[in-house]
Amino acid sequence: MKNKDKGTAKSISIRSMNKFFQAVHVLKDLSLEVQAGEFLVLLGPSGCGKSTALRLIAGLESISSGELFIGETNVTNVLPKYRDIAMVFQSYALYPHKTVAENIGFPLKMAKTPKADIDTAVLAAAQQVELGDYLERFPGQLSGGQRQRVALARAIIRRPSVFLMDEPLSNLDAKLRGNMRAELKYMQSKLGVTMIYVTHDQIEAMTLAHRVAVLKDGTLQQLGTPKEVYSNPANLFVAGFMGSPPMNFISGAIDNESFTTKGVKLPLPGAPKSNQVTLGFRPEDCRIVKAGSGAMDAEVYTAELTGDQVLVTLQLHGSQIVSRMPKEFEIGDTQIAGIEVDARHLYLFDSESGLRITADSTR
Amino acid sequence: MQTSRVSEWLDRHMGRLFLMPAVVLILVFSIFPLVASLIIAFARIRLTGGGFSVRFVGLRNFEKQFFGSEQFHLLGTFTDISVIGLLFGLLATLGLIWWMVLYVRAHFSVVGFLGRMITFLMALGLAWLFSATLLSGNLFGTLGTTLFYVFVGCGIQFLIGTALAYACSFQFRGTTSFRVIFFVPMMITPIGVGYIFRMMADTTKGPFSGVWQWVGLGEFAWASDPWAARIFIVVADSWQWIPFVFIMLLAAFESVPRDFTEAAELDGANAWQKFTEITWPHVLPVAATVMLIRVIEAFKIVDLPNIMTSGGPGIATESVSLQSYFAWRSLDLGQASAIAYVLLFVTVIICVSFFNLVVLARVRKAS
Amino acid sequence: MTKPAARRSLFEPPDIGQMATATKIVLYTVLLAWSAFVLFPIYWLIITSFKTIAAVNQGPYFLPWIDFEPSLHAWKELFVNDYRDTFRAYFNSIVISLSATALAILVGSMAAYALSRVKFAPNLITILYFVGLLALTGVAVGIYDVDWRVAAATAIALFFFLARAIGRLYQLRLQNGDILFWIISQRILAPIVVVVPIYMMFQSVRLLDTHLAIILTYTVINLPVVVWLMYDFFNSIPRDLEESAQLDGATMIGIFREIILPLSRAGLAATTLLVVILCWNEYLLALFLSTNKAQTMPILVAAMNAGERGILWWTMSAVIMIMIIPVVIMAILLQKYIAKGILVGAVKG
Ligand SMILES: Nc1ncnc2c1ncn2[C@@H]1O[C@H](COP(=O)(O)OP(=O)(O)OP(=O)(O)O)[C@@H](O)[C@H]1O
Ligand SMILES: [Mg+2]
Repeated sequence: MKNKDKGTAKSISIRSMNKFFQAVHVLKDLSLEVQAGEFLVLLGPSGCGKSTALRLIAGLESISSGELFIGETNVTNVLPKYRDIAMVFQSYALYPHKTVAENIGFPLKMAKTPKADIDTAVLAAAQQVELGDYLERFPGQLSGGQRQRVALARAIIRRPSVFLMDEPLSNLDAKLRGNMRAELKYMQSKLGVTMIYVTHDQIEAMTLAHRVAVLKDGTLQQLGTPKEVYSNPANLFVAGFMGSPPMNFISGAIDNESFTTKGVKLPLPGAPKSNQVTLGFRPEDCRIVKAGSGAMDAEVYTAELTGDQVLVTLQLHGSQIVSRMPKEFEIGDTQIAGIEVDARHLYLFDSESGLRITADSTR
Repeated sequence: MQTSRVSEWLDRHMGRLFLMPAVVLILVFSIFPLVASLIIAFARIRLTGGGFSVRFVGLRNFEKQFFGSEQFHLLGTFTDISVIGLLFGLLATLGLIWWMVLYVRAHFSVVGFLGRMITFLMALGLAWLFSATLLSGNLFGTLGTTLFYVFVGCGIQFLIGTALAYACSFQFRGTTSFRVIFFVPMMITPIGVGYIFRMMADTTKGPFSGVWQWVGLGEFAWASDPWAARIFIVVADSWQWIPFVFIMLLAAFESVPRDFTEAAELDGANAWQKFTEITWPHVLPVAATVMLIRVIEAFKIVDLPNIMTSGGPGIATESVSLQSYFAWRSLDLGQASAIAYVLLFVTVIICVSFFNLVVLARVRKAS
Repeated sequence: MTKPAARRSLFEPPDIGQMATATKIVLYTVLLAWSAFVLFPIYWLIITSFKTIAAVNQGPYFLPWIDFEPSLHAWKELFVNDYRDTFRAYFNSIVISLSATALAILVGSMAAYALSRVKFAPNLITILYFVGLLALTGVAVGIYDVDWRVAAATAIALFFFLARAIGRLYQLRLQNGDILFWIISQRILAPIVVVVPIYMMFQSVRLLDTHLAIILTYTVINLPVVVWLMYDFFNSIPRDLEESAQLDGATMIGIFREIILPLSRAGLAATTLLVVILCWNEYLLALFLSTNKAQTMPILVAAMNAGERGILWWTMSAVIMIMIIPVVIMAILLQKYIAKGILVGAVKG
């Protein structure tokens, strides 16, 4: 298995994987199928178990229960070095006492590749990430972005069948992060490898992924394309996690096929009767209008100009509602404003379970 | 395929293979001798030509040390206890009982209680030994002498070493040379130190003979006065080991973040407050560990008394190790092992108590 | 406008970032006094090695060329008359210290590395069987004169049987911390406790008075020091470096050699220096384990206490001096690592 099919992308299949650290249940019955050549992003808040999942796939931690397949092989108990996986760590894990060239060539050296072959491969990999001029430097003498590219080069030089990345962009400044994002995406499609990418940044997830897996407290919340996850969230958590600024929520009840709460009444044809629901709509799906003419009235809190848009924050029964308005919009000294919502983009959730409730009008 | 099977097996068990040599070496050269030594301590051994013959004598060797003809040698004599001795012994007993009561009242766990009970009994025993021998004007034995070396010696080394380290932790001209100079005595072999200090202490031909004569002690032979001899050994030992305390604590002092002391300075702390409030608490864990190491090593003291006084006058400067060595030299292996085991017993209890009550207490408090 | 010179008392710093004059005076006085206390015995050692016998015996002389005429007779005795003894002891000391240090560092840092990275869970009950059987074997061989091969074979068979049969039933798992404590606690053993059996052991395999015997013994007594210092050092190296190497196909040996050892240079240097000093200066064990061929320098020093002729202070001083020199050179070479190396080990406490 070891060498003959090197470099061809492989699928990954995670079957009911659990992980305990002593008594702490960190990953709960995780099942995921990743196709060969797919770019999958594991997304979730801090501490939800993303890194743990990645380390289980890499074999750096043992799996408490469940199975893991790479390609057709069951690798549940296989040592990391036999899994043919490359990983880029959040800290990059560059060896401080080795030069850039030695760092990049390290995997080949471990595979006992002849020196001459290593040199050519290192040069090729370095040029691919535009590091050709830095080969003799030590990691301490590089900038954050350059270090990141060294780590990348060290991963691609092996032509692994699976690529794992743990928040590789989180140490970079905003501009560099944008550039590297594009570069990563290009690199992945060119190499055609299977990639599992961990992040807590939903913009990275949206822009990079073929499919996104949203994780919370070690449980898989939703798996789908970025578009699906964004526009069709399975529950309150996913709805609130995706999008920036996040979705607005108002709690209330459904009575007579309409959503009601103090001072608000919104018709929702087909919605089942329920006492405790949460209504959600995205900032871009609502508009500020004159008081009394929208679906509800709220107190104006702030207005922030972000450049291409104005974010208006309002307060309704103690919760905040954000509306995204075009940049020409001026709030003036209005105290109370109306909010008009787009009836086609309303989301309804059961407040207790957090699950999505579908009404005819909210499909 | 075969080789990859082997290499995979190696990979999986490499951790054990890494640990194995150390464990095997310790088992063979430390644990096995330890067990064998215990067996020897219960026997009389005669070296005969190439081999040796063994006769099992039960507790006889220990009996002789604690209650028999060697009692004066190991423990000292305690014919009659003086009033001061009695008073001190009673006070110490009451204090120790009070300490146990406080512990039991505060928090109780079986293991913790047993541990403290052992500490308690050892402290009680040593306190009564102290009052029955030294405080009552009786002769005290090698155990007392060893404890003198350990506690007085380590105390001096700790105080001076810490002071020097703190002084050198400031930035001023010449610190580097001072550091190098202060480190030198540690590099000299202990028996060398013993001989050097014998030269230093010579009242007629040594460098300070003029001083001795001027004070009127020209004819004073320090080697024949028990206390002068003991103190001199402590001085030589301190000369050699202060550098160790110094270098470790210097590293600790330098690792105290500057921000802390600077913040304290802005808050109006004076130099002494900066030291007690900021620097010292930061350094204390290291200091505790360093002193534990020093105490462990100090219990083994043998070269200096051997070289400087051969244990004399009489047995005044003999340490337990040295007593055991002398027993070995007279080919009494059973006695040698029994004495060594007494030393081991005392050392382990004192060191583990120290570790438990000082080093670990801080860890517990922190967590 | 220039800054007006601040008039401050002796007890206030003359300028920001400086020490008060009084502090400075006290500090320098104390440090200089201590330097004198440290250096004077060494100075006396050096001049004694250049004194004639008469100059030593006739009372204190302090200054060469003024008080006494320096003479090389002690050095001549050491390097011309008795050069065989001197060089043999010197050679023995070098071989023994370096080999024992190398071995202790290798074995000790491997163990420390394993303890800091791999989880072990040995069964205490099994260990107790082992020690119990060891003791029984010792009794059988030592007291009842059973042939040691028979005893060892029986003990090993019995151990495996018990470990399999009962070890499964009763389990009391130890952790890495316990193993670490066990190894480090070996340092509590005074050499005198174990030296008699070690002596008898080497005697029975006819290894007394050989380099090997002393090297092995020194290695073991210094293992705890190495494990203690290196464990903390290894713990301070970030794990992800190794994990990354692991994914790249490196074995544990590869990681240890390629990544861990190069990154621990400072710690290794400090530990090496300490262990070399300890081996180089050791006296009691060498006294037990060597009679003639394998004698080390400290024994040569003691040999200058030549019975009926009294102590040969002059040659002894010369011997002690040639013992100090290599250690000082080594300390100077490794100096820049020492502070750093000790720091990590010690500061974690
Ligand atoms: N070795 C360990 N022992 C015990 N608990 C652990 C261990 N490693 C991780 N955990 C716990 O498992 C949970 C998940 O950790 P993990 O590192 O996977 O989070 P994450 O999603 O990567 O978070 P972040 O985005 O902050 O990196 C955390 O609550 C963490 O405290
Ligand atoms: Mg993480």
